[in-house]
Amino acid sequence: MTPKMKLAPDSGSLHVSWAPEREKTSGVAASVRGISKRFKKVQVLEDISFDVAEGESLVLLGASGSGKTTILRIIAGLERPDSGYVILHGQDVTDMPARERGVGVIFQSYALFPRMTVEKNIGYGLRIRHRPRKERRETVNRLIELVQLEKHRKKYPWQLSGGQQQRVAIARTLAYKPQVLLFDEPFGALDAQTRVHLRREIRALLRQVRVPSVFITHDQEEALELGDRIAVLNEGHLEQIGTPDEVYNHPETEYVATFLGAANLLLGVATQGTVEIGTAKLPAEKETRRFREGQSVKLVFRPEDVCISQDANLPGACRRLANGVIQEVNFVGAYERLTVRLDLTHRKGDTDALYEVTINTPQRMTGVPIMVTRPKPEANALRFKVGDRVAIGLTSFSVLPNYTLVRQR
Amino acid sequence: MKIQAIRHVRGFDVARPISIGAMLGIMLPLVLLPLLSIFIYGTSSGLGVFWSSLVAPEAVFALKLSVVTSFWATVFNVLFGLFSAYVLSRYDFWGRNAVIVTISLPTAIPTAVAGFALLLLWGKYGTIGRLLSEDQQIMFTPYAIVLANIFVTFPLAFGVIKPVFDTMSRSLEEASATIGATRWQTFWHVTLPSLRGAIVSGALLTFARAVGEFGSTILVSGNLAGRTQTAPLYIFAKFNEGQIEAANAIAIVLALLSFVIFSVLFFARDWLEFEAQEI
Repeated sequence: MTPKMKLAPDSGSLHVSWAPEREKTSGVAASVRGISKRFKKVQVLEDISFDVAEGESLVLLGASGSGKTTILRIIAGLERPDSGYVILHGQDVTDMPARERGVGVIFQSYALFPRMTVEKNIGYGLRIRHRPRKERRETVNRLIELVQLEKHRKKYPWQLSGGQQQRVAIARTLAYKPQVLLFDEPFGALDAQTRVHLRREIRALLRQVRVPSVFITHDQEEALELGDRIAVLNEGHLEQIGTPDEVYNHPETEYVATFLGAANLLLGVATQGTVEIGTAKLPAEKETRRFREGQSVKLVFRPEDVCISQDANLPGACRRLANGVIQEVNFVGAYERLTVRLDLTHRKGDTDALYEVTINTPQRMTGVPIMVTRPKPEANALRFKVGDRVAIGLTSFSVLPNYTLVRQR
Repeated sequence: MKIQAIRHVRGFDVARPISIGAMLGIMLPLVLLPLLSIFIYGTSSGLGVFWSSLVAPEAVFALKLSVVTSFWATVFNVLFGLFSAYVLSRYDFWGRNAVIVTISLPTAIPTAVAGFALLLLWGKYGTIGRLLSEDQQIMFTPYAIVLANIFVTFPLAFGVIKPVFDTMSRSLEEASATIGATRWQTFWHVTLPSLRGAIVSGALLTFARAVGEFGSTILVSGNLAGRTQTAPLYIFAKFNEGQIEAANAIAIVLALLSFVIFSVLFFARDWLEFEAQEI
């Protein structure tokens, strides 16, 4: 296993900023304005705009084919957008070739030069800039110390582990003080354990060097851990951009809700400060304020935001939703997962379609199944069996407009 | 698995000596004996005769001419092979595949046809040749030999270098560009080092093939002793004149030269493949 990255550097030489030397007045390091791109007949990106603040790390999260890699390549100058602008520290670089942009790309395969040692890889940026030998040597030494590869400086890339190669790749870009660092699926090629370890290291390293960074990933856990902010992409559209707390706890679209972790989804109607789902009424004064009376809405909540009680007394923070029956109890490692069928009977005149949920069960039973998770201590304190009747409440949820139904009408 | 194999063999494996023996028995008269006879006959009248045939002025000239013309053909074909492989693997254009097929064509054309084609183009009454004045004519000069060598050996270096370009990861060059390198710096520092092995083996193959070229050379060179006679032509000429010892001495040199080149290639291949794994 690779040595732990130093969180608080104790030697003075590490207190060097690797961020570009410029006045940081605007606070925006990189910004993408109205980028669109199509490959042949496929629209890969459509009107994408976002900013990356100075020293911030932004994660572009999306499934494969969502266009996230294309955005990265456009910022780096390896791909040209059909329309829109890329601005780095206030300068429009849309028509500037990659080599003049001063952007650091950490490729998924790391793309270390196979015929160069660790030292030479790191020194490459300064060598092609014809910097004096002394400066090159000092910079390389400082960087090797920063990424803790002192023992490996004379080695070739193939002699290093995945994590070490990644550190060389980062050091190689830091050498020329990049305007922004771009990470393309940085942990894709590594096993699960190394992955978790390395992303903590990178987070610590970035905090130290203070270079604004853009990460690309399809792994929601990775996104939540690495990002100061997360931008969720779906088929070339930017669905939502916000802090991990915002996108996770207050998803603005169904896609964001279901892509970032598991979510239960119920269809209902906003009426008189409540969300009415069948016969159940969930008090939601604040959440329904932006909807008109009788508007069709989606109620989205996470499995861990559900509270269960065997009597009618739910904890104070919980808003009562309905009663239900325990249908399934699974113990999955760190937590317990329950499937509960809610007693939601149809509103008169409404169809089955109103009770579609994201959890698909093969059997068509009465009631609406939802997924609930409970931490171990709670599961141990209050055990449930299949068939138990319970009261269900929600600590937190989102109410989204039901666009699909509007379109159907 | 292992035990089964031993049981199946049951003591003495008869197939092994028979297969090896059969293989050597077939190879012997077809490949090994002809090669061996050059050495046996060449030294049969004593090393003195061998040496004096070798240092005869015409013989030395023929060897030198072969090496020099092959050298320039190799230099040209490696450089142009590198360039055309780069262009053909990096840019897509209309007719690209047609060009790739055409480039590989000379390997399939009989060398005599190649020589004849060059004569029709560059000869005194040829398509281009007729435009040149009397003292600009290049047929029947050493330049014609270089031209013939280039034509015949062109696909060799290209054929070795192109696949390396095709399989090379684009991200290396992209990484170099984002770091700030110009195209030329990227080619020099990143692309070329990865091609080192392919260039060396391409050059050796080209040179070995060019040194032995006969069919096209005899047509375009005029086979003038001491002026345009290469080593293979010298062997042919001396044999026709009945001077077997003279022909044999040069034959030994050519055989040894190819042997050395192919040994280098054979052992270099291990080294090259090892290098490839590093990437």
